[in-house]
Amino acid sequence: MNLAIRDVSYKRFKFFSSTIGVSLLIMVVVAIGGIVRGIISDSSTIIETTGADLWVVQAYGAHPQGGTLGQFVEISRIPLRVYRAIEAMPGVAQASPLATAWQHVQTMPRPSPLMKFMYMNALINTATMVKPGWMALPQNQRFIVIGYQPGKIGGPPVIAAGRGIEASHYEIVADVSTGFEVGQILRLGNFDYTVVGLTRNMVGFTADPVVYATLLDAQNILFQLEPNLLRNERSYVAQRFTNLAATQPRLVAPLAEEAAKTVENTLYINAIAVKLLPGVSAKEVADRITRWQHLQVYTAPEQVNIQLMGSNRLILLQLNLFRVILVLIAGVVIGMIIYTFTLDKLHEIAMLKLLGAQGRVIYQMILQEALFMGIVGTLVGGALELLIEPYFPRRVIATYGDIAQMVAAMTVVATLASVLAVRRAMRVDPRSVLGTG
Amino acid sequence: MSAKRAEGRRYAIEAEHLVKVYGGGRTRVEALKGVDLAVRPGDLWAIMGPSGSGKTTLLTILGLVTEPTEGHLLIDGEDIYGGRQPDLARLRREKIGFIFQSPNLIPFLNAKENVLLPLSLAGVRGRPADERAAELLDYLEVAERAELYPNQLSGGEQQRIAIARALANNPKIILADEPTASLDTDRALSVMHLLRRVSTENGTAVLFVTHDDRLIGEVDRMIQLVDGRIASSASHHVRSDTGSAAEGATLSEFCWRECPAAGGCCTTSSRSAPLPQSS
Repeated sequence: MNLAIRDVSYKRFKFFSSTIGVSLLIMVVVAIGGIVRGIISDSSTIIETTGADLWVVQAYGAHPQGGTLGQFVEISRIPLRVYRAIEAMPGVAQASPLATAWQHVQTMPRPSPLMKFMYMNALINTATMVKPGWMALPQNQRFIVIGYQPGKIGGPPVIAAGRGIEASHYEIVADVSTGFEVGQILRLGNFDYTVVGLTRNMVGFTADPVVYATLLDAQNILFQLEPNLLRNERSYVAQRFTNLAATQPRLVAPLAEEAAKTVENTLYINAIAVKLLPGVSAKEVADRITRWQHLQVYTAPEQVNIQLMGSNRLILLQLNLFRVILVLIAGVVIGMIIYTFTLDKLHEIAMLKLLGAQGRVIYQMILQEALFMGIVGTLVGGALELLIEPYFPRRVIATYGDIAQMVAAMTVVATLASVLAVRRAMRVDPRSVLGTG
Repeated sequence: MSAKRAEGRRYAIEAEHLVKVYGGGRTRVEALKGVDLAVRPGDLWAIMGPSGSGKTTLLTILGLVTEPTEGHLLIDGEDIYGGRQPDLARLRREKIGFIFQSPNLIPFLNAKENVLLPLSLAGVRGRPADERAAELLDYLEVAERAELYPNQLSGGEQQRIAIARALANNPKIILADEPTASLDTDRALSVMHLLRRVSTENGTAVLFVTHDDRLIGEVDRMIQLVDGRIASSASHHVRSDTGSAAEGATLSEFCWRECPAAGGCCTTSSRSAPLPQSS
């Protein structure tokens, strides 16, 4: 006869309503785990789907750091022509020049009621800290433009709708989370671009979705000046050669023209993704690139790590700490509930002792109830989290493994939480069942 | 103690010079001051006395939940505190059944499970346990209430379930703490008749604490505790010879009526008196 099951069954409403409370707490814990996993996934998605073995970015001469942390974290600018030199190196299968830029357009789809509620809540919670209105419903969609050379690595990994980029200009492929539709025309930089296809699950470490364009288009979006300013800049550069007019008039025009190219937008890129031939040592190639091209090189795992630890380190630590605190709170809550349940049945415990129940029978009953609450609470909380996961504004990835981990953690926590109740039960005197006289 | 052990097997309970002292110094309270008892299997004894006279202390000592400060106690011939550390929980499970003023059924177990509980604690499970529980519920005429929870049963039914629970492990002794206090006369007598039936048919020694004079005529022996001592002890076995009933009689009336000669079956001493035994 299992006393814990009988007791839980008898007090099922009280027990399960308490367990639901624990479940909601666990749901938050699992969700935070999912948010952490989401951030990690967001940080590595572009790097991993690109499939590059090495990432080449701007270096800083004698700087002890060696170079920038890469185009997704810091500014990185390297000459376009370098990619050809790298591609010619032994062991390199492909070097793909990439340009990246953060952009936004004012075409945000109408937010859902849930999003409105969340923004209102955020506004209320921070109203005393900032000027009113800062958290107004967003009217624009931010995204990362990645420019690549079609046929090389760095483009969209899958086409979920429409087609890939075929023309050399004015076509883009957007992640579905942008809300853009195939055929939609967007103004980016100085030109209009047509969404010809959609990809999915492509976001940067800031959770901004990715929009793919050709390298030339991305360079235009990233570097091209406003047309009037561009004309002014060309004139300004050309004027520097007017003093040659007296002595070498035939050189003025070609020199001015060449100099004016320095304000053009196609001379620079942000990074080069390098794919190596099978069996080639990444370190050797990286050393060669650093030595001969004076650039900073990261392996793909290093690049992921830079994004994770360089940009999200503190938020990840903070979330994990918060998760640990919530698990401890769940333990305290379970402990208090089980302790209260135990206080409610001290008379029955005294009765059991009088009937000859060994201590083992009593503490097993209490422990089993605590474990039942912890494990059922975790399973229900995990299931609830999986249900609400799609409604989070940012990617949340909780897995069954996370829930299994939580079950293991809550088994330990619930066991510890039952100690107080067990101690109280062990102190119950069976004589208390009998009267006085 | 071996001779005493052999002697003790004749008795369900044999207690010699039980003393219980609580506290110490200025808070010292001597709850029992040397109580001797010898109860044979099948005896039905009542323990009476005013509040604070030591009835419950005596019951808890006999129920193995309180250790006496002095004295010897044999339960079914087993010297409880004479040897190594006794397994009191086991002894309670195997040899003693308890009945209380309120039935004290476990509220989250139904009637049948309450009866099964002592069997389960003793490691008896499955079909033998089910059969024993069914047999007892049938014996106590509450078989049809087996699936109901205590809060769905009447007071009398609950008390019957409690008695069935006390009998589950076929104990040598049943200790009852005011088992009829909360019942009307008919139900109180019904419970007493049940206890009598249990003691007679099963050979179980039944001791119960009571303030209820209505039960005087139902017991084999009545002991009166006053200030931690047995102030008087009256045997009622003559009732069966005379056929007289003593319902409604007080203890003194009972003693006077049944034992008019001083020093007969009613005594007023404790340590100096011979061990009260049923014959």
